[in-house]
Amino acid sequence: MASVTEVILKKVLYVEDDPDIRAIAELALQDVGGLNAALCSSGQQALEVAPEFRPDLILLDVMMPGMDGPETMRRLRAMEATRLIPVIFMTARIQSAEIDEYLALGAIGVIPKPFDPMMLADDIRRLVKESTKGPRD
Amino acid sequence: MTSIAHEQLQERLRLLQERFFERARGEIETLSGFAYLIEQQQLPKSELDRCYQLLHRMAGSAGTFGLPELGLAARAIEKQMKAHLESSGDIAAAPDGLIAVSADLAHELRKLATWLAKAPEARATSVATARATAGSYKGAQGMHVHVMALAHDPEYLSGLVKSLAAFGFIGDTGSLDQSDVIAMRLRERTNAAVLLSLDSELQDVLSFREQYIPESEHRRFPVVCIGDDNSFDIMYRVAEQGAAAYFWEPLDMPELAERIETLALERSSSPQGRVLIVDDDAELGEHYCLVLAQAGIISRLVSDPSELMSELSAFEPDLVLMDVQLRDYSGVTLARLIRYEPRWLGLPIVYLSSEDDPQNQLDALSKGADEFLVKPVTDDYLVRSVRIRCYRARQLSDLMNRDSLTGLLKHSLIKQEVDRELARCRRAGHYSCVAMLDMDHFKRVNDTWGHGQGDIVIRTLANLLRNRLRESDVIGRYGGEEFLVILPDCEPTVAVKLLEAIGKSFAELVFWVGDDSFQVTLSAGVALINDFPVSDQAIEAADQALYQRKRGGRNGVTFYDLARGETET
Repeated sequence: MASVTEVILKKVLYVEDDPDIRAIAELALQDVGGLNAALCSSGQQALEVAPEFRPDLILLDVMMPGMDGPETMRRLRAMEATRLIPVIFMTARIQSAEIDEYLALGAIGVIPKPFDPMMLADDIRRLVKESTKGPRD
Repeated sequence: MTSIAHEQLQERLRLLQERFFERARGEIETLSGFAYLIEQQQLPKSELDRCYQLLHRMAGSAGTFGLPELGLAARAIEKQMKAHLESSGDIAAAPDGLIAVSADLAHELRKLATWLAKAPEARATSVATARATAGSYKGAQGMHVHVMALAHDPEYLSGLVKSLAAFGFIGDTGSLDQSDVIAMRLRERTNAAVLLSLDSELQDVLSFREQYIPESEHRRFPVVCIGDDNSFDIMYRVAEQGAAAYFWEPLDMPELAERIETLALERSSSPQGRVLIVDDDAELGEHYCLVLAQAGIISRLVSDPSELMSELSAFEPDLVLMDVQLRDYSGVTLARLIRYEPRWLGLPIVYLSSEDDPQNQLDALSKGADEFLVKPVTDDYLVRSVRIRCYRARQLSDLMNRDSLTGLLKHSLIKQEVDRELARCRRAGHYSCVAMLDMDHFKRVNDTWGHGQGDIVIRTLANLLRNRLRESDVIGRYGGEEFLVILPDCEPTVAVKLLEAIGKSFAELVFWVGDDSFQVTLSAGVALINDFPVSDQAIEAADQALYQRKRGGRNGVTFYDLARGETET
């Protein structure tokens, strides 16, 4: 996995309404993955935190009350400070049509839930790396 | 990551897991409520939507917290429910807003609880040893059953002790003429030890036990009597004197070993139980808790019956002790209420009552209780009756998960265990091995000596494995004469040596059929779990190594060396 290091991935923002998932994601990203992670409980909060925190990547849960994942992404894209930050969706949906839909919105990848806390950081690194190599085949 | 950091991480993960279990319990209760509404055809569309959200959430999170089966089950229901939601969009205008959902879904919803019921086990494994001893009853494995032969001339029994040692017991002899010494050695035992006695000296052995071991401890030291006559009169006398088992010459060694194993299991202090006490007299209830705690039984008191059902789900007892007359409630009715939950149909309920009219007792028994303890009950009697019932209850649940012949884990469960161990290896970074064991030319044993003998051989190997392996090891019966063993935190070289030693002991055992005898050898294949991305491949590799060993002459152990892509002896 040595080649992964060329991707600059230090700061990650995770947006998730479920507090238990946030807690375990924090462990997965920080303690296991060695990343600097910020956690938000809603899309609204993410819009406030992201411009300040300036993450290298944003993880968005799709299904959230109020502002859902896709809507949060649209708003992030509308703001200058967060316009270019890559986004990965986290979803428990299974249909590939939905996954394609999220990718079409401009997300660089989709991670299925439930995720393995031991593998999450590796998974996002892989997705980031693939996205920088150009379109996937 | 340093190992300390790693441990801290594990601990935090564990706490998060625990918290999630609690939450999932609550959610499943809510879902059971939905199940009820569905059955009553009283489910409003808004509630169906809520139910769906809850399932979706569970499907997406349970796996992260180590309950993948719960997640999958929730997802399956979620899918069906989604179909309902979509089709109900058209009929949303129905006047009462109620929608009909198939009763199957209600059933599925209730079944979710069974996945959670498995949680304590999941916890015991992921939380490592913390619960392993207090949790599920695992057989005498790792307990090292002690056998002590007592006689005036211990030489006489030393041959027998030696043969028993071949079955994996820790054997010892003691002279009845040095009672102090034996008593001291026995008192060092924290678990059960089986005493062997000759029929002719049975009285002396029992007097020794009477004199040197407090009565409350007698149970831990059952006496197995050896005689040379199986006449009714002799057996009756032996039983009357108090021996726990009687065997006569010529001794059926596998049978004797089996009995010693069972006795030690049943009498050891380790399979404790979990008891929920329902008594509105908090002081008395606390007293029962204390008494049971001292006997190593975990108990919890419910003094407000309205909390009974939630406490049951949270605590998952082996047994309920129920006061018959509570202030505002009837214990009999509460017992019936408990039986409303399919999950608790088999839960033993014992009444505590001051009711001494047998007619009324019988009445209560017919309404769902299993037994009466008449108040005031002595502490000793309470402990004993609770202990034996917890043991029985666990035996029953083992019936479902364990192979009936050997008491080992069934095929499907042992595979899950390999999955778990693989995940643990990844997390903790230790090395673990999986081994496949198979008896050599077993078909010949069955063909020559009959299936009954074949079963004895299988049981004997199962007992030997239990005695020789650690408590943290997992043993399962994989197929007819195949066993699968998981050795956590064990390097391949150690695993190979260990299995070689077990193979050697097994090969030395002599099985007798009348005057004829035979011996059986075994072959084993070992693979390092860490070498493989998925557990199935590790099992497959162990199987391949086993196959190599079979081709290479059997009776030995072969390791699957990934580096060479080949196997190596």
